[in-house]
Amino acid sequence: MQIDFSRLGDDKLFLVLSSAERLKKNNSHIIHTLTGQGYRVVVITTNQPSAVLKRLYTADGIDLKKVSFIDAITKYALGKAPPGQEDCRFINSPSNLTDLGIAITEVLNSLAGKKACLLFDSVSTMLIYIPSTNISKFIHFITSKLRLVDASGIFLAVEKGLDPLLLTQLTTYVDNTIDMDVILEGSNEKQVQ
Amino acid sequence: MQRGENTPYTVHQLWVLIILGGICIGLEVGVHLFLRTAIGYTHIFYILLVLAAVWYYKKALWVATALVAATFLSSLAVGDFNWATLLRASMFLLVTYIVARISEERDRARSDILAQKEAIEKKHFALIGYLSEVTLRIKNPVKILRDNLLAIRMEFDGNGPDLDSVKMELSAQLAHTEQILANFQELNQQVIEEQSEIPDAYREFLTR
Repeated sequence: MQIDFSRLGDDKLFLVLSSAERLKKNNSHIIHTLTGQGYRVVVITTNQPSAVLKRLYTADGIDLKKVSFIDAITKYALGKAPPGQEDCRFINSPSNLTDLGIAITEVLNSLAGKKACLLFDSVSTMLIYIPSTNISKFIHFITSKLRLVDASGIFLAVEKGLDPLLLTQLTTYVDNTIDMDVILEGSNEKQVQ
Repeated sequence: MQRGENTPYTVHQLWVLIILGGICIGLEVGVHLFLRTAIGYTHIFYILLVLAAVWYYKKALWVATALVAATFLSSLAVGDFNWATLLRASMFLLVTYIVARISEERDRARSDILAQKEAIEKKHFALIGYLSEVTLRIKNPVKILRDNLLAIRMEFDGNGPDLDSVKMELSAQLAHTEQILANFQELNQQVIEEQSEIPDAYREFLTR
């Protein structure tokens, strides 16, 4: 499945909605599409440990040299960072927005001038750790940073995991919203025809 | 609308009082001074005094005082100043004062009710906000957790899952579960702190 990021470049920031059971697969599809377009991708993960994502990306034939990670769940879930992951920045907890903000700023500065894209996986999981108002402020902070350094950003969220108010706020921060399940249903319909 | 605001309605009220005041003075001069009778026409003064008291409360006593002065002057000029003049003048002041007090009390009670209604609505909105945050931070994360577990379960349907990955994924889901439980306890704590009528046994159960 190829995701339509044809407007990526004109539009910089996307909110991508997906069902929870397809979230991991959709994450991989997005990375596949982005690396295929020559983007250097930074994955911020609060849902799946980066080691799991790496294995998934390798299995899907994605060049891991083009992907780096800011992992906010592994240390929190496993108690320590696994060895041999030098390309990954570990944050103590998804609720530690200060460290997360610093890590994002440093990574974006290091990628200045390059064709970079940030993938946030996922906004819905963040709701477990911080109140919706703080999430909204944090996403606004990231989108402002991205616009300043002229980088792209994709925010993954579970379609039914956001309340209408938060969804409306997030929609105003991004340039475009993509519903992955609608895309998938559309592609299935085409196959049936 | 606040009293004292210069709205078209208050301007309209002022004009009504000015016109009525003019009519009253006209009657005092025309009927009392020229027709030499003090009977009947003063009843019309009460329209002016009651309206002034309803709209401007005790400030209407100034209007009443002005009418009393006009009555005294015309009575002195005509030469019929007696106990009836004094009674009429004191009735002007008394009626104005009573209507002003009643109007003041009525409007104060109305503004109290409005303030109470506003406070209840505010509390209601806060409750709705609280409930939607509870839904967002408890119900939806549980759904996400269920779907994540379903996704992990689906990995077993393929050629056989990568057990190390599954272990790490389950650890992440466990961490999510612990945080959801902590959120739930925090929310319960807030509820029982607000609700003093919850019995101790239930209070202990909620925070366990």
